[in-house]
Amino acid sequence: MPNENEKIRHVAPMKLKLLITVVPRGKAGFYIDFIQSFDVNMQASVPAHGTASSEVMQYLGLTDPDKTAIFSIVREDRLDALADALEQKFRSIRDGDGVAVAVPLTSMAGTALFGFLSNDRRALKEETANE
Amino acid sequence: MNEQKYELVFCIVNTGFSETVMDAAKKAGAGGGTLLRGRGTADREAEEFFHINIQPEKEIVMIIVPESIKDDVLLGIYREAGLNTAGMGIAFSLPVDKAVGLGE
Repeated sequence: MPNENEKIRHVAPMKLKLLITVVPRGKAGFYIDFIQSFDVNMQASVPAHGTASSEVMQYLGLTDPDKTAIFSIVREDRLDALADALEQKFRSIRDGDGVAVAVPLTSMAGTALFGFLSNDRRALKEETANE
Repeated sequence: MNEQKYELVFCIVNTGFSETVMDAAKKAGAGGGTLLRGRGTADREAEEFFHINIQPEKEIVMIIVPESIKDDVLLGIYREAGLNTAGMGIAFSLPVDKAVGLGE
């Protein structure tokens, strides 16, 4: 048991990104499972509505406004592979076209949370240092 | 994958003003956006002090824009749906590290 003179330092081995993926609502389940396979432990999905890019497209029924926005926490070292795979799925899956953007996360509350979100059991590294 | 830099614009407005936001953004060169529905929270004491009534029901508009037009989009949203308007919108942008599915 560390005494009051000892400090515990927590080292974050890698950065995390917030990936926001907007897909047709009917394909949300597929994309959630797909993204999870890239070491993603935390996702949240929210019903969304796409804004019509063209009145003509909407009139012809070529756009489905019902969407799902999927918020995923992704490890930086898995992002490139996931983005490439998503792009391939957007092109190949029928009625499964979507967009995805990644924004950086700068801070987080709690090392256990970080370990969970990064799916890295080594995220918490204890060091002791004498004052 | 596109090499162009993008920004993710978020705009939180009172319900019913998402179309105003999108119109303003499109005028500045933006494409489509995604609409979420939410509920705002406000400090009751602050509302009373500033004599501002915050409508709780909100719409959240997410728009991916090229970095080159981000400022124009934000300015347009501010003018059409900003805090001084009935929409009482708050708009901000986040840097995008990577974007896929945006086409040309």
